[in-house]
Amino acid sequence: MTTSEPGAAPRTLDGLRVLEIASPLTAYCGKMFADLGADVVLIEPPGGCRLRRERPFIEDRPGIEASLAFAYHNTSKRGITLNLTAEEGRALFRKLAGAADLVVEAEKPGVMAQRGLDYGVLARANRRLVMASISAFGQTGPYSQFEAEDLVGVAMGGLLYLGGYPDAAPIRAYGGQALLGASMYGAVGAMLALTEAELTGEGQQVDVSMQECMVMAMENAVQFFDLEGTVRKRYAGIQRFAGTGVFECRDGYIYMMAGGIGANKFWSFSLQWLLDEKVPGAERLTAERWNDIDYLLTDEAKRIFSEVFAPWAKTRTKAELYHEGQRRHIPLAPINTPADIMGSEQLVHREYFVRVSHPQRGEPLLMPGAPYKLAGTPWRITRPAPRLGEHNAEVFGAAGVASRELEQLAGAGVV
Amino acid sequence: MKRLPLAGIRVTDFTWIGAGSYATKILADFGADVIKIESSRRIDSLRMSAPFKDRIKGVNRSGYFADRNATKRSLTLDMKHPRALELARKLIAQSDIVANNFTPGVMERFGLGYDAVRTIRPDVIYVSMSMQGSTGPEHNYLGYGASMAALTGLMHLTGLPGREPAGTGTNFPDHVPNPCHAAFAIMAALRHRRRTGEGQLIDIAQTEPTIALLGPTFLDLTVNHRVQQPTGNEHPWAAPHGVYPCKGDDRWIAICVMSGAQWMALGDVLGNPEWTRDAGLRASSVRHTRRQELDASLAAETARWVAEDLMHALQARRVPAGVVQTAADVVERDPQLAHRSHWVTLEHAEMGRTIYNAPPLRFSRTPGELTRPAPLLGEHTDDICRDLLGLSAEETRKLKEEGVLV
Repeated sequence: MTTSEPGAAPRTLDGLRVLEIASPLTAYCGKMFADLGADVVLIEPPGGCRLRRERPFIEDRPGIEASLAFAYHNTSKRGITLNLTAEEGRALFRKLAGAADLVVEAEKPGVMAQRGLDYGVLARANRRLVMASISAFGQTGPYSQFEAEDLVGVAMGGLLYLGGYPDAAPIRAYGGQALLGASMYGAVGAMLALTEAELTGEGQQVDVSMQECMVMAMENAVQFFDLEGTVRKRYAGIQRFAGTGVFECRDGYIYMMAGGIGANKFWSFSLQWLLDEKVPGAERLTAERWNDIDYLLTDEAKRIFSEVFAPWAKTRTKAELYHEGQRRHIPLAPINTPADIMGSEQLVHREYFVRVSHPQRGEPLLMPGAPYKLAGTPWRITRPAPRLGEHNAEVFGAAGVASRELEQLAGAGVV
Repeated sequence: MKRLPLAGIRVTDFTWIGAGSYATKILADFGADVIKIESSRRIDSLRMSAPFKDRIKGVNRSGYFADRNATKRSLTLDMKHPRALELARKLIAQSDIVANNFTPGVMERFGLGYDAVRTIRPDVIYVSMSMQGSTGPEHNYLGYGASMAALTGLMHLTGLPGREPAGTGTNFPDHVPNPCHAAFAIMAALRHRRRTGEGQLIDIAQTEPTIALLGPTFLDLTVNHRVQQPTGNEHPWAAPHGVYPCKGDDRWIAICVMSGAQWMALGDVLGNPEWTRDAGLRASSVRHTRRQELDASLAAETARWVAEDLMHALQARRVPAGVVQTAADVVERDPQLAHRSHWVTLEHAEMGRTIYNAPPLRFSRTPGELTRPAPLLGEHTDDICRDLLGLSAEETRKLKEEGVLV
């Protein structure tokens, strides 16, 4: 086992028992619970779950224990194998669910019921049980049986249409954000239902739709349609307001917000900076109209800003522009690459990246750490992602399955 | 109505603009009494952000603000006024949670840093959501959701190779990663408090949840020394996988062929044109190697289809496909979102009837329901002064005149 911090502090979710049926839609949800101290048991089919087959792999060599995507998303979990298509497997699942607080699953809607494992059945034996059911479109409705990958989730959820360049097809958010969004909302929904179950003694099912989670990411596009009748489009390469957008610099790009959002409160700082630096043409930005948001929305303002700012920005590095801009109280950010982020002094100071051991590798893996710092009950990875079936004996043993029986079940392909 | 999960929890909410407001809204929608502390002297800039009802600007007319603040109550209190602090302290004494997303130091200047608040309310859960956390050399830097997308790598990685970074076109970390992480951490801390009586400080750097979502990308760097680059809509091993044009103005469909069976089904739906018949293409590695050629051929086929028709034809054959929906599509045409009653129409005193997002969660036993539109600036000041601060109508009136409750 690996711990990145001393083990003395109490855990936020101490004593909470979670069963997660492995899926790309459940993985991050389970991680959120596990890294705050819940006992999360990951249930995989005997051949291993889909995430074990996802890149990247350690040294690019595929293998059931080699996926870094799996290693990252399953920290602090215990792992068992269980064939839920076999009746003996279902019986074991019912037994485990009888002692759990939360089941997280993302099977196709209807599959859990076909297996006799739907919420109604499980709750009859365990009234407190909460079940978070995460799916592409929701448990019921005309699209509930549709197939979906991450790209379909961002497409149908309306986020995809807002991303990309006007002269090319819409471009999706990097990194599986629809899957992750559904997983995060799954965690929120599960915590809400658990809160209520702990107060009343009665659980319930939470139905989470990946599509609907992505609709939450449409920013103000729906309100533009509702209030103005306009349909927002993608605009990469175009400033949102004059002074707000992506600008090239000497070693990459920055995201400049010369005025801030809405109220344009930082414009005078940005202007003063360009004047102090004697940027050629900066005086073109001094007229009173530059304080008017409506003017900043015009093509003329965007063109003039770019003519003044862009050539000068190209003579400076990301880091120079970032630190000097921020010193002047301007919301300017470097467009970081992953390598820039690994070098961030801010993240080093926060001890953000953590080391976690891995069974296939002598050296620990260096990975992102706490997404929140809870002072009293800190986030902490308590163990690396489980090897396939690593905790079968431990988990089934605690559920009263004798070791001989477990051998038989293994022989029959149930575990 | 059934009791909601967070009924009885009160939040003194100093958050504004994006992520903070959307985080506390989750708490409000599920029963917490979230009291938004605002001031006309320091307006939440989202109140001044488009779109506005009838395109007329006004502090109570922004749809962007409204959607992020429905269900909350609004108390106007100018924290820079010397008399504001005692009122805030009275409210905090009756609150379970105090939340802010200012740059570090602002709450301390108000006299409401964690140590001060803990003396008023020892078991408080105190949530700070600054851009980069309350410690470190860049802790006092400022920014918005788009700045965070830039800082976290999300913007760099979203786009086409060789072009300037595209990003999501939105302040993405504000809308899902930060609100979800904050709400989850707060509810976990509430659970710990129920069990132990102890509150605590939660420090969320708004960059750190989004970086956490990109874990495998960072592991590829730290283990394999590979710096990931933007790849548009491509998939690491599956093809065709992308966004293809359809009939009409700027209409598109997303199609993901993840298996040999789906490849065959795609060919069938398209009428097995010549380019799909190559038997070698049944192997996913071959399709991936030849993805650019396949993308071009597929785009020529999809352009003959109405996006919705092609989606239904492909889905009938179990091929993952979805229309790239616009705001008009999700509001007016999507039958699935309608089935889930995602859009809720609420009546607002200045904006009239407008639509709001319901949270994307359906509970089998305690269904929440959006009932209260965004608050007008200071709409609940009188109620809160009377019910929670113990002030008479006369005292409240005087505090408004003196510029405290403004």
